[in-house]
Amino acid sequence: MDLTREEQSILDGEEGEGKQKAMELVTALGKIYGADSLIDITSAHLSGASYKTIGDGGLKYLEDLVGGGAKVSVPSTLNPVGMDRTRWKEMHISEEFAEKQLRIIDLYGQMGIKKTCSCTPYVGPNVPSMGDHVAWAESSALSFVNSYIGARTNREGGPGALAAAILGKTANYGLHLDEKRKPTVVIDADIDGSVFSYSLLGQAVGMAIGSGIPYFKNISPEVEEAKALSAAMAASGSVALYHVEGVTPEAGNFDISGLETIHIGKKELENAYDTLNKVDDVQLIAIGCPHLTEKEMHQIAGFLKDKEKRNKDIEIWFCTSEEIRAKCPEDVKIMERFGPVLADTCMVVAPIEGTFERTATNSAKAGNYLPTLCSQKAMCRDIAALMELVI
Amino acid sequence: MIFEGRCICRGKAKGEVIKLDEPLSFLGGVDGATGEMRVRDGNVAGKILVFPKGKGSTVGSFVMYDLMVHGKAPAAVINESAETIVATGAVISSIPMVDQIPSVRLFEDGDIVTVDADRGTVDIEGIVFKEVVSSVVSRNDKCILEKRPDKSHSYPGHWSLVAGKIEDGEKPVDAARREILEETRIKVGEPLGQMPPLYVREGNVLFKVYPFHFDAGDQEPVINEENDEYVWASIEDAKGMKTVTDTVLVMTTFLG
Repeated sequence: MDLTREEQSILDGEEGEGKQKAMELVTALGKIYGADSLIDITSAHLSGASYKTIGDGGLKYLEDLVGGGAKVSVPSTLNPVGMDRTRWKEMHISEEFAEKQLRIIDLYGQMGIKKTCSCTPYVGPNVPSMGDHVAWAESSALSFVNSYIGARTNREGGPGALAAAILGKTANYGLHLDEKRKPTVVIDADIDGSVFSYSLLGQAVGMAIGSGIPYFKNISPEVEEAKALSAAMAASGSVALYHVEGVTPEAGNFDISGLETIHIGKKELENAYDTLNKVDDVQLIAIGCPHLTEKEMHQIAGFLKDKEKRNKDIEIWFCTSEEIRAKCPEDVKIMERFGPVLADTCMVVAPIEGTFERTATNSAKAGNYLPTLCSQKAMCRDIAALMELVI
Repeated sequence: MIFEGRCICRGKAKGEVIKLDEPLSFLGGVDGATGEMRVRDGNVAGKILVFPKGKGSTVGSFVMYDLMVHGKAPAAVINESAETIVATGAVISSIPMVDQIPSVRLFEDGDIVTVDADRGTVDIEGIVFKEVVSSVVSRNDKCILEKRPDKSHSYPGHWSLVAGKIEDGEKPVDAARREILEETRIKVGEPLGQMPPLYVREGNVLFKVYPFHFDAGDQEPVINEENDEYVWASIEDAKGMKTVTDTVLVMTTFLG
């Protein structure tokens, strides 16, 4: 890899051990994936924020980084953490977990990372522009900014994204390069256009192609739909970029003649639905994966306004960012009659397995991870159908 | 015997090999506090940990850091191909790591190995390196298997493809033709196929095996004193016989 004189001096340790370790990591990953050089990034988004997912090893790693004086050099945001900072008791979180989780958030803060912890930073505090090179972890968010915004990032891991944030640089390979952003398959989609149908579409496409860069025809997602689609494809497969004809900014740049076309319609969506639904009764309904947007908060509150929660045995969690929750006090008031509106956490990164065994969600992404990361039997339906379980 | 790979994380280490033949997920695969392996017996602490590549959760990087914090990290990691999780874990935990080593089959548990990750080299102590050819000499869906004598140095009493050592300066394909002629009196033409080399350990001997495929035509073998007997065997036949390592794999590649 060609390093500039300045980059080489960082690698040689002339700017301290913290930056040297960051440079070692970014160049090691660059080497593995055949990068020829490093490029400047304009922002980073970091995963590895929940104590549940990073454990004591991760906590010690962060303590050592902070002890070494590590600071990020570009605007950086953080993924959801294992609990709501103030309402963790309502989530059945232990004192020990809470203490360690708060410590982790504080450590990230000391490195200069914004302490808003959300998987949808692109609707608020961290919005890249078309063509920006960025280093984002969080599979759903990086797919959204790659696809819907036209920024450029690979699927970074937590420490890799943090190292890139410290340096303000990442290795130049993969989706940073024009030629690696070409569609690999055409998806002829036939869906009803609801947010839930986008979730199922993403699930079906991820199952059908695994990885690759799909080019969609016959859909027109807005932010909420693209959020659901991005999340589902990144969970059921490892899709990090897609194009939508007439919608996403790079879709017009490519010649798609000669690509294989896959039809995803009623049959495929039913199959996706069956994959995500393995239980008929649940203890928890968790909504907001990825985090609810302002529009979704309004929609849910509007739907629940005249209704009453009759089934008290089922808990409901609504998950969003601190920022969005603060923006929607009236909606929150209505939603709180059904269950807590939790900020900066979610059902996947919270340790729900200590309390629940069967959980329902409207998210295909959560539907994939609840069984594996949270030992849950999962149900996945649209929000109205989930609310039918309790009203 | 020194093998050249590629540096993933700098550093030097010497130690005893603990090897896994399958991809490893540190999350679930190794206890971060004790170094005990959960996917096999043994402990990674202070060992040269050899496995093909990483897999599984990205949290695995932090399990490696946890090992380092507890003083239970491996002395070095050797992979066939590095991926993000293990490379990240090695770099943040300062564990020397080398990849692009031809095969984990170079190694056996207990080998004493020196890793010089700065140079990307791996030195396995006390092994003898031999380059050999091994040929599928076929007619239709069957090929010749020869039975080695019970007093043979290598794989006594096993059934083998037509195999032998490459002489100094000899090309592998020429060695293959020569061995076939010596052991069976069959004259073969150009190979129908060849595979990338395979590595096989037998005790302290490391064989680099060049597999070839030749057509026997209607020639019938006449074996020499090196082997006890021969048969024409199909893949199914070979599966039921006591064969030299990789015999069925090579037959399946060429005849399957």
